[in-house]
Amino acid sequence: MHTVRFNSAPEAAHVPTGTLLVEAAGQVGIDIQQPCGGQGRCGRCAVIVDSGAVRRRSTLRLSSADIEAGYALACQTVIEGDAAITVPPQEQIERRLTTDLTAREVPIPAGYNPFEAQPIRRLSLTLSPPTMDDQTDDWSRLQTAARQQTGVENLRVSLLLLQKLGHVLREGGWQVEVLLDTDEARLIDVKAGYPADDAPLWGIAIDIGTTTVTVWLVNLLTGEVKAQVAEYNGQIARGEDVISRIIYSGKNNGGAELRRLILNTINTLIETACQRTTISADDILKATIAGNSTMMHLLLGIPAQTIRLTPFVTAVNTVPCLTAQEVGLAIHPEATVDCLPGVASYVGADISAGVLASGLDDTEAITLFIDIGTNGEIVMGNKEWLVTCACSAGPAFEGSGVLHGMRATKGAIEEVWIHTTTHEPTFRVIGNVRPRGICGSGLISLLAEMFLTGVVDKGGNINLSLQNPRVRMGEHGAEYVIAYAKETGHNQDIVITRVDIDNLLRAKAAIYAGFTVLADRVGVPLAAVEQVLVGGAFGKYINVEKAVEIGLLPDMSWDQFHFLGNTSIKGAYLALLDRRARTRIQHIAGRMTYIELSADNSFYEAFTSALFLPHTDLARFPSVKVN
Amino acid sequence: MPVEIPKDTWAGQVRTITLGATAAEGGTRSHTVTIGGQKSLPFMHFEHEAPYPPLVALEIKDRRPDDWSALLLERWGDVVNAPGDWAKAAEAAGAELIVLALSLTDANGEPTRPEAAVAATKAVLASTGLPLIVWGPGQAEADNELLVPVAEATKGERIAIGLCEDKNYRTLVATAMANNHLVIARSPMDVNLAKQLNILISDMGLPLDRILMDPTTGALGYGIEYGYSVMERLRLAALQGDGMTQLPMIVTPGYEAWKTKESKVGAGMPDAWGSWEERAITWETITAMTLIESGADIVVLRHPESVRRVQTAIKDLNSVREMA
Repeated sequence: MHTVRFNSAPEAAHVPTGTLLVEAAGQVGIDIQQPCGGQGRCGRCAVIVDSGAVRRRSTLRLSSADIEAGYALACQTVIEGDAAITVPPQEQIERRLTTDLTAREVPIPAGYNPFEAQPIRRLSLTLSPPTMDDQTDDWSRLQTAARQQTGVENLRVSLLLLQKLGHVLREGGWQVEVLLDTDEARLIDVKAGYPADDAPLWGIAIDIGTTTVTVWLVNLLTGEVKAQVAEYNGQIARGEDVISRIIYSGKNNGGAELRRLILNTINTLIETACQRTTISADDILKATIAGNSTMMHLLLGIPAQTIRLTPFVTAVNTVPCLTAQEVGLAIHPEATVDCLPGVASYVGADISAGVLASGLDDTEAITLFIDIGTNGEIVMGNKEWLVTCACSAGPAFEGSGVLHGMRATKGAIEEVWIHTTTHEPTFRVIGNVRPRGICGSGLISLLAEMFLTGVVDKGGNINLSLQNPRVRMGEHGAEYVIAYAKETGHNQDIVITRVDIDNLLRAKAAIYAGFTVLADRVGVPLAAVEQVLVGGAFGKYINVEKAVEIGLLPDMSWDQFHFLGNTSIKGAYLALLDRRARTRIQHIAGRMTYIELSADNSFYEAFTSALFLPHTDLARFPSVKVN
Repeated sequence: MPVEIPKDTWAGQVRTITLGATAAEGGTRSHTVTIGGQKSLPFMHFEHEAPYPPLVALEIKDRRPDDWSALLLERWGDVVNAPGDWAKAAEAAGAELIVLALSLTDANGEPTRPEAAVAATKAVLASTGLPLIVWGPGQAEADNELLVPVAEATKGERIAIGLCEDKNYRTLVATAMANNHLVIARSPMDVNLAKQLNILISDMGLPLDRILMDPTTGALGYGIEYGYSVMERLRLAALQGDGMTQLPMIVTPGYEAWKTKESKVGAGMPDAWGSWEERAITWETITAMTLIESGADIVVLRHPESVRRVQTAIKDLNSVREMA
C-alpha cells in the first residue's frame, strides 16, 4: 500500500499500486471533476504531483512544460509509490487551459500617458473679455488661448459650434471648458464654465463584424476599458455574408437600409455601454472603428458593389477622419470618428488592426494569423514580409446559421465532451446556467467530439445506427441531441442537425483551404510556420485540439497556438489610445500583399479536399486518431 | 536513327479486384473476372504490362424498361421481359459481366418488392455463369430496401452492389461485408469526393479490394471531358501512391450515351446526321473508348454492337505491342 497525501485533505489515502489518482482523491473525499468521463480528453482534472511515484498513462491536453511543472491528469495517472499531490482549484485549471483576452480585463498599454499618446484634450480656458482696445473676434480669441495651452495651430471649427460660441463665452463669463482633437486640430465642443477636476474623457472602440458587432467604452485618461458589449449585426436578416449584403445594398434602398441597421446596432450598444457605466453618450469624444471593407462601406453609405465585381476594388481603403454627426453615431456629434485603414476588398481594417494587436508585424518568427469570423482572413509572415488572403467561412463559428447557434454569451454551451462508448454528452455552459444554445467554440468542440466518438463519420454523416435515442431523425433530417428540453433554459431540445454539420464543415474547409493555398503561393511549407495566432470572436474558450481534430487548424503542437480573442477590437482600442499604434496600423495595411483566392484555381480543389474530417489527405493530420 | 521512348515509372499500383465466386469459392459462377493491377496509364505497354484488360459489362433490367430507346428494345426483343433470358442473351452478345439494374417500380407502377428483386437476381444467376453487379433503383431508401435482401440471397457470390453514395453507404456496405460481396462507390465527378467516399467505406471495415469506384461521367458532347479529367487525375493519384484512389473504376457510358438526343431521337433529324442506329452505337462506343483511355476498368454498355466494337478496340490497342 502507498500513502498519497493531498494538499486539500487532512487525511492521507492508502492505496495499492495502479490506483488512479482520482480514486485515491475520492477516498479522502476530494471530488475531482471529470467532464469527459475520465477519458483523459478534457484536461480538467489536472493536478500537480509535488513528489512521489506516479505513471502518466496519457498526457493529452498537457504540454511538455506542464508535465515538467508536475501536472498530471488525475483520471489518467496511476499511483506507483507514496506521493504528494496538489489539487488546484478548478477555476485555476480552466484558466490554464485556455487563453482568452477578450472578455477578461484588458491590459492597459504599458506606460500609458494620455497626454502624450492620444489627441483628445479637455482644456479650462480663461479668455480676456473683448474691450474697445481689443476687438479681436470671439473665435480668434479662443484659437489663441487654445494654442497657448496646446500648441495647436489653425484650430478648425464647425458652423454649429460657431453658432453657439459667442453665447457660451459670455454665459461662462469668459471661463470655458474646451474639448478638442489636437491631431485633427479641430474643436469638438465648448461649454460655459470650468469642468470638474475629475471629469473623464471617453472614447469608444468599435469592431463591425459581418455577424457580430463589439463596442468597448474606454476612459481615455486612464486607458481603462469600462464596458465591453457585443450584439449580432442587425444586417444579418438581410444576408449572412458580405456578398449577399452587397447584393442587397444595391437593390432599391438597400444601402440606406443596411446603413440604418448597422447604425442602430452600434448606437444601441453604445447606449447599453453608457447605461452600464452611467455616463452620457455625449461625453464620448472619439470613436475608432475597425471592420471588414464591406462593413465599412455600408456603415459610411459608400456604394459597395465594386467589392463584389471583378476586379474587386473598394471605393476607399483609407477613410479620412470624420465626425460622429457625419457617420451617424450617437455620441458627441462633433466627436472624431477614425475609420481604420483596410488592405483590399476582402481584407479590411479588422485585419490591419488584428495584425497590430497580434504583434505579427513585429516578430521574427514565421507566423500565421487567422481571424476566424464570417470571413476567414489569413495573414502569414513576420516583421520582414506579410501576405494575406480571405475566404468566406459563413457565420457558423459565430453561432449564426446553425439551428441552435447563439453568440458566446450567458447560456451558451461552449464546450462539449461525448462519452466514447455511451455517446452521452457532458457540456459546460457560459455563466453556469441552463443552456439556451451553442456558440462557436461549443460547435467546434461538439463536432470534434462527435467525430472522435463515431457519432458522425469523416464525411459528417450522423450515424443513425448508434443505439442511443440522442441520435434521431428530426424535422431537418438526422440530428444529435445535446440537451433535452428538461435540461435547457428555454424548454426546448438543443440539437445539432446534419445541415448544421454541413455548414460547419464548409466553414472549416474554407479556412483550412485558405491557409493551404496561401502557404503554397508563398512557398512556405507548413513545417516552417513557428506559431499560429488565432483571432476571432468565437467566445471565451476555444480548444486547440478540437479545432485541429476537425481540421480547422493545421496539425501542429498545441503550444504553437495562441488564442487572442477578438483582435480587431483590440487593435481599434490600441489605435484609439495611441497615435503610434494608429500609425503602425497604417504601415501594416500598406505592407500586406493581398492574394485574391478567387483568381487562384487551386482553391476549390483545396476546399473540397478539406470538406472532410479532418481532411481527405489524412497525412496532413497525423495526430488525429478516431476512437 | 532509333527513337528512344521515354518511360515513366510509378510508385503506386491499382488494386487487383476479383468479382464473382466459383463453386470452389462458395459461389455458383462458371468463372471469376479480375481487373486492376496496373502500374502505368492505360495501354502504356512499353512502360508496364497491364495484367488485366478493361472489361465490358452489359446492363439489363429486372423488367422491360419504360425509358430505354426504342432501338435498344428492338435489338434485344422479347428477352427484356425476363431478366434470366436477357442475361443469357447478354452473355451471348459477348458481355464479360452482367449489370442487373433494379427498377424503382414494377410494371403496375407499384414500388418494386424485395422478393421480386431477389427473384430477378436469382434468375440472372441461374441463367448465366458470368459474375454479377446489381444496382438499386438509385433512391437511398429503395436501394437499401431491395439490395439488402438481394445481398443476403446471393451470399458468397461476390457480386458488386451499388450505388453507395456519401449520404447513403452504411447499409449497403454493412450487407456487403456480411455477405461477402463488393460495393460500388459513386461520387459526383470530383477527385476529393471519390477519395472521401472510399475512406468512409473502408472506415467501416470493408477491405479496399472489395470497393469499385464509379466517379460518374458524361456522354460524348455532354461533359465527358469533366469525367475524363477526373478519372485521369484519380488514376494519376493512384499511380503516384495515394492508397485511397488505387481502386479500379467502373463507369456507365451506356446509360450516359443513350440519354443523349443523338441516341434517343430518330425522327426529324438532319440528313447529315446519318443513320440513327449507327449514330447511337457510335455515340456509345466513342464514349466508352474515351473513358477506357482515361483509366476505366469496367464500362457498362447497353447495345450488343457497342460491346463488339469496344472489345475489338481494346484488343487492337493491346496488340499494338506485338507490332512494335
